[in-house]
Amino acid sequence: MAYILFTLSVLLVMGFVGFSSKPSPIYGGLALIISGVVGCVIVLNCGGVYMGLMMFLVYLGGMMVVFGYTTAMAIEEYPETWGSGLEVLGGLLVGLMMEVMLVLWVLSLDEAVVVVVGFSDTGDWVIFEGEGSGLIRGDSIGAGALYDYGRWLVVVAGWTLFVGVYVVIEIVRGN
Amino acid sequence: MNPLAQPIIYTTMITGTLITTLSSHWFLAWVGLEMNMLAFIPILMKKTNPRSTEAAIKYFLMQSTASMVLMMAIISNNLLSGCWTTTSYINQPPSLMMMTALAMKLGMAPFHFWVPEVTQGTPLTSGLLLLTWQKLAPISIMYQIHPSINIHILLTLSTLSTAMGSWGGLNQTQLRKILGYSSITHMGWMMMTLVYNPMTTIFYLTIYIILTTTMFLTLNLSSSTTTLMLSRTWNKSTHLAPLMAPILMSLGGLPPLTGFLPKWIIIQELTMNNSFLIPSIMTIMTLLNLYFYMRLIYTTSLTLFPTSNNTKMTWQLENTKPMPLIPPLIITSTLLLPISPLLLTFH
Repeated sequence: MAYILFTLSVLLVMGFVGFSSKPSPIYGGLALIISGVVGCVIVLNCGGVYMGLMMFLVYLGGMMVVFGYTTAMAIEEYPETWGSGLEVLGGLLVGLMMEVMLVLWVLSLDEAVVVVVGFSDTGDWVIFEGEGSGLIRGDSIGAGALYDYGRWLVVVAGWTLFVGVYVVIEIVRGN
Repeated sequence: MNPLAQPIIYTTMITGTLITTLSSHWFLAWVGLEMNMLAFIPILMKKTNPRSTEAAIKYFLMQSTASMVLMMAIISNNLLSGCWTTTSYINQPPSLMMMTALAMKLGMAPFHFWVPEVTQGTPLTSGLLLLTWQKLAPISIMYQIHPSINIHILLTLSTLSTAMGSWGGLNQTQLRKILGYSSITHMGWMMMTLVYNPMTTIFYLTIYIILTTTMFLTLNLSSSTTTLMLSRTWNKSTHLAPLMAPILMSLGGLPPLTGFLPKWIIIQELTMNNSFLIPSIMTIMTLLNLYFYMRLIYTTSLTLFPTSNNTKMTWQLENTKPMPLIPPLIITSTLLLPISPLLLTFH
C-alpha cells in the first residue's frame, strides 16, 4: 500500500500511451477516460478529496461525455484501433516497453520511488490556520477563494474559453 | 472576417499582450500568451484559402509547442525555488527551457523556419501584426528574466539568427518572405545585448517596429507582394518609388539613417564588454540583408522593367487609396539619427 501512488502513476502513463499512439478518437476517448479515472484516484490519494471528486464530476462526467458524443457524430466506417495497423500497435508497444524499463530502473535504485517527487511522503492538503477550528482543507477553500482572491483569473479564464469557441467558429465559417 | 467579430478578436489579441506584459505571476503571463495566440489565428485566416489555413496551422503548432515548454519551465522553476513571480531569479535549467520557448515564439534560429512561411501565407496587414505586435509579449518576458539567462546560449542563438536570416533571404522574390527573414535577422540583433543592457533591446524593438510598419504599409498601398509587382510602383504611386530607397536602407542599417542607430548602440554595448568578434561577425552577416534590400531598391526606382506601351502613360494620377500614417512613419524611420542623444536617455 506504500507503493500505491507509484503504481497509479505508472498506470497513468500507460493510459496516456494508449491514446498517444493515435488510434481513432473513439478509442482515444476510452483511453482518456481510463487515465482520467486513474488521475482522479491519484489526486484522491494525495489528500485532495474535493478536487478529485470535482474532477470526476466535471471532467469525466461533463467534458468527456460531450467529447464522446461529438466523436460518435464524426465516426467513420472502419475506425483505427490498437490492433488494426502496425503503426498504432508499434507505438503502443514501444511506449509500454519504455514504461516497463523505467519502472524496473526506478525499482532497482537504493531509495526506491524517490525519483522526481517523493512518492511515499506526499503531504495532505490541510492548512493549520483560521479562527475557530484551526483546520482548513486546502482544496475546498481554494474553490471558494477562486471567486474571492482569484476573481480576475476567473474573468480571464472565462473570457479566454469564450474567445476559444468564437475563434473556432470564425475559422470554420470559411467566407 | 465578419465586421461584428472583429472587435472581440482584436480586443482579445491586445488584451493578451497587455496581460503578459503587466503581470507579475508566471501563470498569468502564460495565460496572456495563450490568449494572444488564440485570438491571432483568425487574423491570420482573414482571407480563407488553403495557403492561409496552412500558415495558421503552422503558427498554431509552433506557438503552442513553445507555450508547453514555457509552462514546463514555469512549473520546474516553482518546484526548485517555490517562486511564482516573474521578477525573481530563475534557476538555470528552467531558465534554459524558458529561453528556448521564447526563442521559438519570436522566430529565432534554430526555430526560425516557420516565420517566412507563415508571413507568406497571410495578407500584408496580418503579416504586419505578426512581425510587430506578436513580438511584444515574448520580449517583455525575456526582459524580465534577463538576469538569469545563460549568456553563451543566447549569443549563439543571436549569431545563428543573424546568419540564417541573412542567408535565407538571398534567394527570395516574394516580399513577405523577405520581410520574414529580415525579422529573423533583427531578432538576432535584439537578443545580443539582452544580458548586457536590456534597454538597448527595447530600443532596438521600438525602431524595428517603426521600420517594419513603414515597410508593410508602403507595400500595402500598391498591394505588392512580389518583386515584380514592386517594380510597377513608379507607375502606380510615383512619389513612393524613390521613397522606398531610404526606408529599405534604414532597415538594412546604413549610417545616416535611423536604422543604423540601434545597431550602433548594440555594437557599442558589446565592445564595452570586451567582445569584438561577435559584433564583427553579426555586422558582416547583416550586410547580406542589405544586399537583398538593395536589390528591391534597384527594381523599384533604379531601373524600368520591360512593359507594354500602355503602362507608360498613367491616366489616373490621383491616388484613391488612403495612406494611413505613412508620411510621418517614413520621416521617423529615416531621419531620427540627429536627435539620438534625446532617444538614448538610458545611457
